[in-house]
Amino acid sequence: MSSRKRPPAPLPGKSVSVQPGAYPVFPSVVAMALSRAVRDPHVHAKAERVVIDSADEMRAEVLKYIDRVEAAARASDFGGIYEHAHEIRGLAGNAGLAATARIANGLCRYLDALDRASCTPEGNVVALHLDAIARAAHAEDEATRLGDAVANELAQLVDRKLAEINKPETR
Amino acid sequence: MRKLLKSLLAALGVTKVYEAQDGDEAFRLLRENQPDVVLTDLTMKPTDGIEFTRLVRLSESSPNPYVPIIMVTGHTERHRVEGARDAGVTEFLAKPITAQNLFLRIAEIVERPRPYVRCATYFGPDRRRRNDETYHGPWRRQTDAANDLEFR
Repeated sequence: MSSRKRPPAPLPGKSVSVQPGAYPVFPSVVAMALSRAVRDPHVHAKAERVVIDSADEMRAEVLKYIDRVEAAARASDFGGIYEHAHEIRGLAGNAGLAATARIANGLCRYLDALDRASCTPEGNVVALHLDAIARAAHAEDEATRLGDAVANELAQLVDRKLAEINKPETR
Repeated sequence: MRKLLKSLLAALGVTKVYEAQDGDEAFRLLRENQPDVVLTDLTMKPTDGIEFTRLVRLSESSPNPYVPIIMVTGHTERHRVEGARDAGVTEFLAKPITAQNLFLRIAEIVERPRPYVRCATYFGPDRRRRNDETYHGPWRRQTDAANDLEFR
């Protein structure tokens, strides 16, 4: 794509719109090739296979981040816990670890909300999540109703804790 | 995750892919190679995906402020997603990554490129993705002139 076009200067109190074509877009040959490819069932099948084949590697990555999140927990490093739990929630879905992803997402939601409210997370809430993440990720049958039940219970716990910090003070 | 994305792009026939560890390296590679599309994570250190997107859109040294940016993210917190949108991200690709979702985002960029909007606080793809019948202003765009008159 040609890239010499600069954005227009802003006008006071107004927005300026730049239509496609007035700025550089994909050359038509490339656009047509990509359009064809994204609709090709053979390309889709090949790509879906790539995702399935990556699951074991993703699971190994999840386990690495579990070690890191546990180390961060031992150091009471809540920023580190969030960072690694965030990696786990991103990778776990592609590793076929749906419950692990949900539990890690709940932990991230909890830590993020408390950080924004300038509150300190409760150690036992974090510990419950980390324990559940580790157990779920190591389980052979992670995608069971039990994993879902644990994820649901922990999601409710997070909802209750977040409701507590959002509750206006009454005197 | 980068390896998976690269393999998915290869399945699409995309062979030239440049990889970076963080936003600074990505910006350098962008200047050197001028790719057609950028895929970025949100969480990177020291320069994250939001800062990188701002650099691409607003920096004088950006080689292409209009390059489509797909943000690949596992973040579900609303403020983070809104922050990325307001930095000028074109499309979001939520984790877990599926071929279907990646292809949909690419099709959107290639087949329906969006207008770009420049105002005092923003430059990037039009954030109004729908015609909202219930929206009654304020009308700030040049293309909103008819509405300006109507609602003034």
